[in-house]
Amino acid sequence: MKPDLKVDIGGVIIKNPVMVASGTFGYGEEFDQHINLNALGGIVTKSITLEERPGHPAPRTCETKAGMLNAIGLANVGIHRFIEEKLPFLEKFDTAIIVNVAGSSVAEYVEVCRLLESAGRFDMIELNVSCPNVDKGGIEFGTDPEALTKIVKEIVKATTRPIMVKLSPNVTSIVDMAKAAQKGGASSISLVNTLVGMAIDIRTRKPMLSNGTGGLSGPAIKPVAVAMVHKIFGNIDIPIIGLGGISSWEDAIEFMLVGATAIQVGTANFIDPTSSVKIVTGLEKYLKKNKISDISQLVGQVRK
Amino acid sequence: MKKIVPQLCSVLSNRPLDRQRQYFRLIVENFSAARKIVPGQFVHIKITSGLDPYFRRAFSIAGYDQKTGQLEIIYKLIGVGTTLMSRMIKGALIDIIGPLGNQFSPPDRRHKAVMIAGGVGLPPLLFWAKRLIENGFDKNNIFFFYGGRSKTDLLERSSIKSLGVNFIPTTDDGSFGYHGLVTEAMTQRLDEIPAKSSTWYGCGPEPMLAAIQKMALEQGYRGELSLEAPMPCGVGVCLGCIKPLQNNPKKYIRVCHDGPVFAIGEVII
Repeated sequence: MKPDLKVDIGGVIIKNPVMVASGTFGYGEEFDQHINLNALGGIVTKSITLEERPGHPAPRTCETKAGMLNAIGLANVGIHRFIEEKLPFLEKFDTAIIVNVAGSSVAEYVEVCRLLESAGRFDMIELNVSCPNVDKGGIEFGTDPEALTKIVKEIVKATTRPIMVKLSPNVTSIVDMAKAAQKGGASSISLVNTLVGMAIDIRTRKPMLSNGTGGLSGPAIKPVAVAMVHKIFGNIDIPIIGLGGISSWEDAIEFMLVGATAIQVGTANFIDPTSSVKIVTGLEKYLKKNKISDISQLVGQVRK
Repeated sequence: MKKIVPQLCSVLSNRPLDRQRQYFRLIVENFSAARKIVPGQFVHIKITSGLDPYFRRAFSIAGYDQKTGQLEIIYKLIGVGTTLMSRMIKGALIDIIGPLGNQFSPPDRRHKAVMIAGGVGLPPLLFWAKRLIENGFDKNNIFFFYGGRSKTDLLERSSIKSLGVNFIPTTDDGSFGYHGLVTEAMTQRLDEIPAKSSTWYGCGPEPMLAAIQKMALEQGYRGELSLEAPMPCGVGVCLGCIKPLQNNPKKYIRVCHDGPVFAIGEVII
């Protein structure tokens, strides 16, 4: 019997729990020559802001042990070009399209969501309130529970699509932030965004990144992310999408066992562009082998 | 269209090219190319299946034999990744994805094709010169400037020579060929390669490419330069390997996906 991989993310049924994370998959076009995009549960786009942004000057990525730092600085084509040039490509595929939205003010987020509303076929908005790399990249909303509730409320008014709020791990209480997102009307939350990190070139005695600090991602952060998902599970009623260092189907299962309904594959896309589809295949095999008929049965089994 | 996915290939040979063991030639077999391999493209290699080094490493393709699937790379020992790679023995499996990136564009048939290589920037230009000759381009119209610090940094000298092209080796220390920089040697031969009838192709260290670009722009030469940059993904999505555009320095292009070959004057080096 073919196991059921479908999951419900706040009212949107996706064919399997594997999405690709924002900023690691562009707008999908490049990966079309490496994988079958229809095999994915969902594609989360690079963060979109109102205006086109070039991002920070080079160097803006740096390899670290078992991971990497990035300070791209929200480089993106802007909402108008996204709607005209990028969304029509994505619409062709049988996978959920999740548009990641970022901004410097509540008004910018609302305007981007409003413009998207009538733009075409997409399924969800992921709210980036957790970019650690720009002064006004929404992190102020992502670290203050009251500000987070407020911005989510405003965005819920501007769109008919379900909102997934992407949380920053760089906070004192991740549970408070998750609750604040739910209070504002979020349909799901995704976590974690990158951890603030820094690396120094000891020869030049300067930071490795032009921005100084950056966001740490990759296998190095996975245990932190698993702990945060575990901590939130049971404290909110909306689905959790887990991410942070997921590179294999075993990693995906680990996140589901502590409470993630679905997962996102991020930095692993850089190392192996086929890793997301390999995870889908791996999950299916695991379910078959263990005679689990529905993948949702795994969610939150590990409570302690 | 066939997808470009990582392949495990077995090492056929992996030998040093010099006595100091600074430079190596790696040949793998059974590389099945999902796209036709053309000079200028690169492959992205995961040297260990472990997490350190974490990123793949990009290497320009030095040659490929479609019949046998033999893929050739020439590399220099730079850091952890290349050091580990140099230890791979015959039969070892290596994870390769490619071909990635764009290609050199052919010169006008009546033009002089001018290859300008520096150090380990040689492989794609040697591949390009061979391909041009195979395609019927007159070898007498190929100029091959090749600069290195010292004689030992000039790789594949006999291969270049055997092509029958105009070979102009240069060394910084005068141990082989012209004593001086490759751009200085070029300055002396510019009358043989007039701007209106020659096309330049450069690959090498950034200071050299910057000097070539400056010279070309000042004297009205056209051509292409193959750039190098640390690449986390190699497939155009991480936006790490960027260069600013010459005509709009606030716009960036991706070396991996928009390049690695760019028209002279296109990007700020």
